[in-house]
Amino acid sequence: MNRAHVRRIAGAASILLALMPIGAHAQSISLTDQEGREIALEKPAERIVTIPMPMASGVIAIDGSADKLVGMNPLSLTALEEGILGRIFPNALSITDAVTGTDFVPNVEALAAADPDLVIQWGGRGPEIVDPILNAGLNAMLIVYGNEDNARTYMRNVATAIGKPERYEAHEAWREEVRQEIAEVTESLGEEERPNVLYMGRSLSDITANGAANSYQNWSIALAGGRNAAAELEGNQSINREQIAQWNPDVILLNSFEPELDVSWVYDDPILSLTKAAQDKRVYKMPLGGYRWDPPSQESPLTWMWLAELLHPDLFDFDLRAEMRDAYRTLYNYELTDADIDGIIWTSFQGDGFGYDQFAAK
Amino acid sequence: MSAASEGQAAGQPTWRWTRSTLTFVILVALLLVSLAVSVCVGRYAVPVDRAIAIIWQSLHDPTAMPEAIDERIVWLVRVPRVILAVVCGAGLAISGAALQGVFRNPLVSPQVLGISQGAAFGGALAISAGIWGFPLLALVFVFGLSALALVGAIARIDGRTQIVTVILSGMVVGALFSAFVSLLQYFADPNSSLPAIVYWLLGSFATATWERVLIATPGIVVGLIVLWSLRFRLNVLSLDEAEAKSLGARPDLERWLIFAMVALVVGAQVAVSGIVGWIGLVIPHACRLIVGHDHRKLLPASALLGAAYLVTIDTLARTLTAAEIPLGVLTAIVGAPVFALLIRQHYREKGAG
Repeated sequence: MNRAHVRRIAGAASILLALMPIGAHAQSISLTDQEGREIALEKPAERIVTIPMPMASGVIAIDGSADKLVGMNPLSLTALEEGILGRIFPNALSITDAVTGTDFVPNVEALAAADPDLVIQWGGRGPEIVDPILNAGLNAMLIVYGNEDNARTYMRNVATAIGKPERYEAHEAWREEVRQEIAEVTESLGEEERPNVLYMGRSLSDITANGAANSYQNWSIALAGGRNAAAELEGNQSINREQIAQWNPDVILLNSFEPELDVSWVYDDPILSLTKAAQDKRVYKMPLGGYRWDPPSQESPLTWMWLAELLHPDLFDFDLRAEMRDAYRTLYNYELTDADIDGIIWTSFQGDGFGYDQFAAK
Repeated sequence: MSAASEGQAAGQPTWRWTRSTLTFVILVALLLVSLAVSVCVGRYAVPVDRAIAIIWQSLHDPTAMPEAIDERIVWLVRVPRVILAVVCGAGLAISGAALQGVFRNPLVSPQVLGISQGAAFGGALAISAGIWGFPLLALVFVFGLSALALVGAIARIDGRTQIVTVILSGMVVGALFSAFVSLLQYFADPNSSLPAIVYWLLGSFATATWERVLIATPGIVVGLIVLWSLRFRLNVLSLDEAEAKSLGARPDLERWLIFAMVALVVGAQVAVSGIVGWIGLVIPHACRLIVGHDHRKLLPASALLGAAYLVTIDTLARTLTAAEIPLGVLTAIVGAPVFALLIRQHYREKGAG
């Protein structure tokens, strides 16, 4: 503890003397995570374990490679296998997922065997899932989920920890630029001009939807110029078909988590097929790219563009395919083919949906 | 009516006859009112006269696919859900009453004996393997029955079975199957089968369809009829062993027939709506206070009140808020305090008597 402390002070002093910011050759890194904990690293993290699901692909994107990832959540691995990232980074598929259960409780033995210099874990969910990491003598960085600000903060923290803050700065500039571009158009929309959008977090076993509070989907829908049809709910709750008929949403968004779910689930349902969304063919499954497009991730600006184009095709003129190609080049150093893009945005079963013609390959 | 005429056949005084007739008339009326209210209310506003017209029209041509949204909501969402709640409520209540009679213990219920947990394990196993429909029902039934058989085997010591050992064995077996369910959950795919298992274990009629009505109803109805036809034997079985034998009963055979029927009813119910607790405990107790301990009245009264109660609870679960309130939460919130009151009432009367 003491030595690290001394080294940190020494590091800070040398920076002051040199009168220059932390460069690539600066060794020690210190940062404060979203739970206000101080983290000191002797050198940029090179072996990272990610326990929250979205962070595995997040680390890959922020680093631009899968080389620093040495362990992840089993659900992150599922997302890699189902999505395109497993094909872009085939070596990522052999990274261990034994370091944690899907309930985020770390397996200390497997964690120690992975020999990480940084473990990323959820914050705000109690010490039971954090203490085992600390007791094993490992560095933990806690991240807090929920809104765009939180997402930006933890991505910046990860970038700082791996010594690539400049890569994150460029990413944030893109995020902010896209957000502003969309917000400038949608901010002035009146309530009547905003379609009622229902995002269903689950569909197959039980139907759930998100209320307005603390929901990233609610935020994305508002940004893209829609209204959350389920705003009256508290958090993520079970609902029934009758309630959906009562809300009668203009647009239905299905989650990308359930692999067997596609839009025919709505079109074949005796009740849901009579909603305005189904009648107008405005039912879409959230795309699955480098990560699922429902929660915040490095690909969120693409989600916003996709959703804005679907809610207001007349107001926006993004070239989604070109934007996706640029983003994947920057994030993963990968050239997307048209077939890749069709796979990500599910053209096979929702290509004939309202507004999807604008995403068609030319 | 039938219960009333039996009362007469048994040579009971006339005032009992009228009183129990009145009781059953009230119970039937209660069920009919709860049914009528349930199909007429919901999150989607359908006027009462319109709802009745829709049901009337659909009854004339039940196979036709209704076109308008309000027709579909009433006929494809509400009616099957109400029917499921009716048969499940009746089945659970009569099962509880029958088990309590066999074990001569008012604290016994399908859950205390581990049947529900065994059935839940069968269902979770089926869901993990991607099996739905009748095969799921079969697995649920087989495991519900094997849980009960296991309880019987553990509790039978030196050829004798004591009530307290049965209840303790039931808790042991229930805990064992609960652990198996947890193990299945641990290995289940968190994006597909895990939420399905969790949701299904919580108990809900939200996914009711006509198909599920067809899956569950035959088993439950068979169970109801067989249990009801055993009402005389239950009166004998609820005497002590030697007395029952002297009255010509074959207690073991009849007990197992009742157990199999309870497993069938609980299995069919669990298969379509997950674990619904408290009905089998609270309803028979309430009915004992109303109609007494005679199983000839207790069984039909439990079935009627159980059906009315579960329909009412389910109606509250789906209409109170935009979100579905978990059924198990409501049955426990209502059931636990009512049960506490009933126990106090029961033992105060006993003490006074």
